[in-house]
Amino acid sequence: MLDFLAEHQLYIVMIIVLMIWAGFLVYLFRLDGRISKLEQSVKK
Amino acid sequence: MKSATAKIGLVVWLTLVISAGILFPMVAAPQKWYELPIIPGLEEKARIIFFHVPMAWTTVVAFIASTIYGIRFLMTKNLDYDLRSVSAAGLGTMFCILATVTGSIWAKFNWGSFWNWDPRETSIFVLLLIYGAYFALRSAVDVEEKRATLSAVYSIIAGVTVPFFIFVMPRIMTGLHPGSKGDPQGAGPVVQFKMAPNMLLVFLSSLLGFTLLYFWMFNLKVRASRLEFHSQQPQE
Repeated sequence: MLDFLAEHQLYIVMIIVLMIWAGFLVYLFRLDGRISKLEQSVKK
Repeated sequence: MKSATAKIGLVVWLTLVISAGILFPMVAAPQKWYELPIIPGLEEKARIIFFHVPMAWTTVVAFIASTIYGIRFLMTKNLDYDLRSVSAAGLGTMFCILATVTGSIWAKFNWGSFWNWDPRETSIFVLLLIYGAYFALRSAVDVEEKRATLSAVYSIIAGVTVPFFIFVMPRIMTGLHPGSKGDPQGAGPVVQFKMAPNMLLVFLSSLLGFTLLYFWMFNLKVRASRLEFHSQQPQE
């Protein structure tokens, strides 16, 4: 596995980018959920 | 960007685009559908077009949206349009900073220095200053109506300069950036959309994905701003 990554460094780049992307998406989805909850509580 | 299906679809779409943009191999003579051609002078560094150009494009979309909402505010005096205008300007500035930072990192490896005052770099720097002044203006006025009116007028003036700084100025001046006047490759394969079909497909998919991502983020920002606005209003 390490030999493969050492030979194909673009995969390391991709893993890091996808980790950042996943973190950003978690943030967006959680924000979306919290805003929806707040909107519902304001409507009530 | 309201339904969960659309959001998940966008997530899958952009994840595929990111993976393709990074992993599709660049070879001298492409044979397979996933092999991208090498662009002379750029080589592996050409991959930045799948991320940096869509960021700059999203900046334009956001700043134009800010201008349109500014105009609508002046026509209707509805403060909700002011919220939308400032939300679009905020996101546009964020994408503009991202485009500048990614471009600067690329410049280090392609031109040898993070910042060269190339016409393209100068124009995006001036654009950042223009929108920095927009937020300075907003923070300087306390009265809501006055702040909204002044910033709407400013956003129209700022919006008019956007196409000039992004599309016109860097193309009429000699510079290092691909697509500048005097570029050894003419206007360049990226600027004239003369890329290989598979490269063009990834590029256009990325443009679409980033634009949709902007609309989702814009929707969230406007909704959060509305909640903040209502929480500041005196309770009856």
